[in-house]
Amino acid sequence: MSDDIFTIELKGRIDSGNSHEVEESIMNQLSGYTGKSVILDAEDLEYISSAGLRVLLRIKKTYPDLQIVNVRSEVYEILEMTGFTEIMTVKKAYRVVSVEGCEVIGQGANGTIYRIDKDNVVKVYNNADALEDIQHEREVARLALVLGIPTAISYDVVRVGDSYGSVFELLNARSFTKILVNEPEKMDWCVEEYVKMLRKIHDTVVPEGKLPDMRQTVIGWAEFMKDYLEPADGEKLLSLVKAIPHDNHMIHGDYHTKNLELQNDEVLLIDMDTLAVGHPIFELASIYNAYIGFSEYDHEVIKKFQGFDFETGKKFWHKVLSAYLDTKSETKIKEVEDKARIVGYTRIIRRSIRRGGLENEKSRAEIELWKKNLVELLHKTDTLNFELNELEIEADIDKLQEVLSFIEEHLSKTDCSPKAEMQISLAAEEIFVNIASYAYNPNKGKAWLRIEVSDEPVTVTLTFTDQGMQYDPLARQDPDVTLPAEAREIGGLGIFLAKQTMDDVIYEYKDGKNILQLKKNL
Amino acid sequence: MLNIVKTAEEGKVTYSLEGRLDTNTSEELETDLTETIQEAEELIMDFEKLDYISSAGLRILLAAYKAMVKKGGMKVVHVNSTIMEIFDVTGFSDILTIE
Repeated sequence: MSDDIFTIELKGRIDSGNSHEVEESIMNQLSGYTGKSVILDAEDLEYISSAGLRVLLRIKKTYPDLQIVNVRSEVYEILEMTGFTEIMTVKKAYRVVSVEGCEVIGQGANGTIYRIDKDNVVKVYNNADALEDIQHEREVARLALVLGIPTAISYDVVRVGDSYGSVFELLNARSFTKILVNEPEKMDWCVEEYVKMLRKIHDTVVPEGKLPDMRQTVIGWAEFMKDYLEPADGEKLLSLVKAIPHDNHMIHGDYHTKNLELQNDEVLLIDMDTLAVGHPIFELASIYNAYIGFSEYDHEVIKKFQGFDFETGKKFWHKVLSAYLDTKSETKIKEVEDKARIVGYTRIIRRSIRRGGLENEKSRAEIELWKKNLVELLHKTDTLNFELNELEIEADIDKLQEVLSFIEEHLSKTDCSPKAEMQISLAAEEIFVNIASYAYNPNKGKAWLRIEVSDEPVTVTLTFTDQGMQYDPLARQDPDVTLPAEAREIGGLGIFLAKQTMDDVIYEYKDGKNILQLKKNL
Repeated sequence: MLNIVKTAEEGKVTYSLEGRLDTNTSEELETDLTETIQEAEELIMDFEKLDYISSAGLRILLAAYKAMVKKGGMKVVHVNSTIMEIFDVTGFSDILTIE
């Protein structure tokens, strides 16, 4: 009992039979106390009826700062139901749970998840003063559930050593990491389910203001990095992050296979405290880190974290990215991977530096490697945004097959006839070969291809862009197809064929770019 | 992507092409043809299993046709309708001997 707080213990039951007595006893104890802060310790309180509640109200009138602490859950329920938790401070008694010897089933940015019995798990927070974190996670998990994301919501808060934990029901669940370790033949199935859930998260629109904006967070990281990069590189990083479009779709923030659980046949997402809104590149960055980034210098890191080796992690990441982008194009996969790496390195370099990484040799070497890769990527990247229907590719004839496969992949998702597919492919070949042969000659450069499919009428539009010399292929005179063979020149047919097989071809030169749009009605 | 089967019978050389005759695959055919043309009397291009032809392929056909005109000529046989359309729009159907 300190000077300014007066604590009174409540015991047993308070109901109409004894409420007068209890009130009298409390008032007696308080007589002479001039402060305002009264605490009722309800550790041994078993029951309280409405007569008892009226006593509490009367005490509160005299002592407005009244608090009731150590409230058992049965009593807490009564107080909650009657609205008392809203009119006075009521603190629950926390069940004490030990995690000694318990299996670790998950590991997140802010805590560790243990299985405490067959049906229940507890997430123990790293931060000792975690009640706010727990509240936050509960709220975001509830939000996610309401928005259609299958997740577990904690039903109880417990004390674990000096920290707090939240308890979830998780029956018979196995993490995807465990499946990958014990049943490696199921990798493709894991990839499929993992990507299905990832898409579901990224397709979920979050009402304004409900979750933090990841872009703001990453802008903060990029600002931090300015002190550790050449000024031009620091500026470039910051401007790349700032240029990422605003996105109100959900991202998980720590989406790795320990946070995905298989419960019976249902896939459940856990560890929701990093939930945010933002562009998918932020998510891909953290996935890259989980499987490659953190272990890039020391390949043993992933073994400690996930239990499988670096090669398995690498393979998993590649399959995931390919499935997520719905493409087999290595160029496309690499393009998005490189963008993800920029954000990923930014995050882990900052994280390591803030944890004193510059002060020990191994971490310093690690930071050096990440930084070298980051700077290299910064020099060749113009945007962190990516579109599934766009391919950025070297304008080189060797890449033709990849361009055609990319188009074929997209057309296979439409009702395109084999004939139309062949004609589109033909036009694409002619245009790409033309760009590859002439646009940057004798130098090298890039070309961009975008493929769009629109309904009513069903139209496929290919847009080729290059930054080579200005050239309008449509300005060239069509070859005279009526000439006899001897008079025909070898060449000049490509563009003509593209024009003939497509329904509409438009050329534009804009901002230093040749833009050629080819339309085909299906 | 392009399968080339070549058969020769007393100066008459038949190329049976399967797959795609495009920028990537035309070089191989061109190299082979350049040699063949010097010795062959007559050339048959069998397109029965050919699905696709681009301008790179057309150029080779035109060159081969021009080279063979002075000898026993070149015929293109078993052309499917999609490739025939390409021959039509480029005027190749008027130039080449197509059966």
